[in-house]
Amino acid sequence: MKLLLLVALLHITPTVVLMKREDAVTKLLPGADQFVSRELHLSSADSKRIHDAVGWEPADGVVTFYLGKKHDQVTGVLVFMRVDCQHGPIELAIGYDPRGTIRAVEVTKATVEMKPWIVEALRAGLTNEYRGLAVAEPPSGAEKVKPHVGAMPGYMAELIDKGVMHADAAYRLFYR
Amino acid sequence: MLYDLRRSDVRVRWLVTLLLATLGTSYLFGAWMVGLYAGYSPRKVAETYGPAGETPMTMQMPPETTMVTERPISMAEMGEEQHHVDRDLLVQDTHVHMPMYAVIAACLSVIALGLAIPRWAGLSIIALLFAAPWLDFAGMWLTKLVSPGFAIVALAGGWAMALGYLIVAVLATYQMWWRKT
Repeated sequence: MKLLLLVALLHITPTVVLMKREDAVTKLLPGADQFVSRELHLSSADSKRIHDAVGWEPADGVVTFYLGKKHDQVTGVLVFMRVDCQHGPIELAIGYDPRGTIRAVEVTKATVEMKPWIVEALRAGLTNEYRGLAVAEPPSGAEKVKPHVGAMPGYMAELIDKGVMHADAAYRLFYR
Repeated sequence: MLYDLRRSDVRVRWLVTLLLATLGTSYLFGAWMVGLYAGYSPRKVAETYGPAGETPMTMQMPPETTMVTERPISMAEMGEEQHHVDRDLLVQDTHVHMPMYAVIAACLSVIALGLAIPRWAGLSIIALLFAAPWLDFAGMWLTKLVSPGFAIVALAGGWAMALGYLIVAVLATYQMWWRKT
């Protein structure tokens, strides 16, 4: 039901996988051989808490943490976070180590249109800026890479910062 | 009849034929895409557009206290992603698709105006062409906001779109290239 060239001009371009979710799990929860899904259906009060904190709440009221375990010990936590913009959605995977700092961030999905912008931002070292960041610290990857990239990659970096900030808030408020 | 496709210039008939072929091809891919991302059963459509992760009736309102559920999952399950259209994405989809559906319905309606059919049939076809996208999106929104049972309305909209296209395509092709009187 997607039609004609005119549609293509107005249409959000198709989704592309930048990194398979399985690969993101392997990278962000290294060594884990058991996985647990912890799903939180947020109350109105908790939805308001996170909204007050970062101006965002999950549209369906659900936050899911994926816990990686080895010998029944938690080795890390992973959150998949979607960020929407007028060019379509971006999906991020944000991994936390057991101390609660960011282990790494990967961009797992984007759209055909956004892919080159995101790749440029990543090549400029965007995700390096998140490593070791405490969940209370505001992510500032965009600020670091903007002088080295074009306008749209800079904008993508801002969106990725925003996604990391949302995941951090969810982790800080609801995981611990 | 505002104009007669049967007696129209060959260039008009060629244009209409190519338009119908292009629309038909995109409908086939649209059907494929629906199969990939939403499915053809009311249950699948309700899962895609309904409130995520909850049983249908309990998901309508947030719980009084945050509910936590934990379960072991495999690596494969973590990789699988249930395609789900949440409210924000549905707003975006509606904004992008509704104008295009209107343009497509208008194109097919203009073709229908050139068909040698009774006035009531022309009115019915035009009504069907415009009702289909309304049903489609009304079904999606009602599934999300009111009840997953409304998935059937979205499915009806999709089938109505296919039916409207088929009626116009078959009649136009037949009248343009075979039935000349």
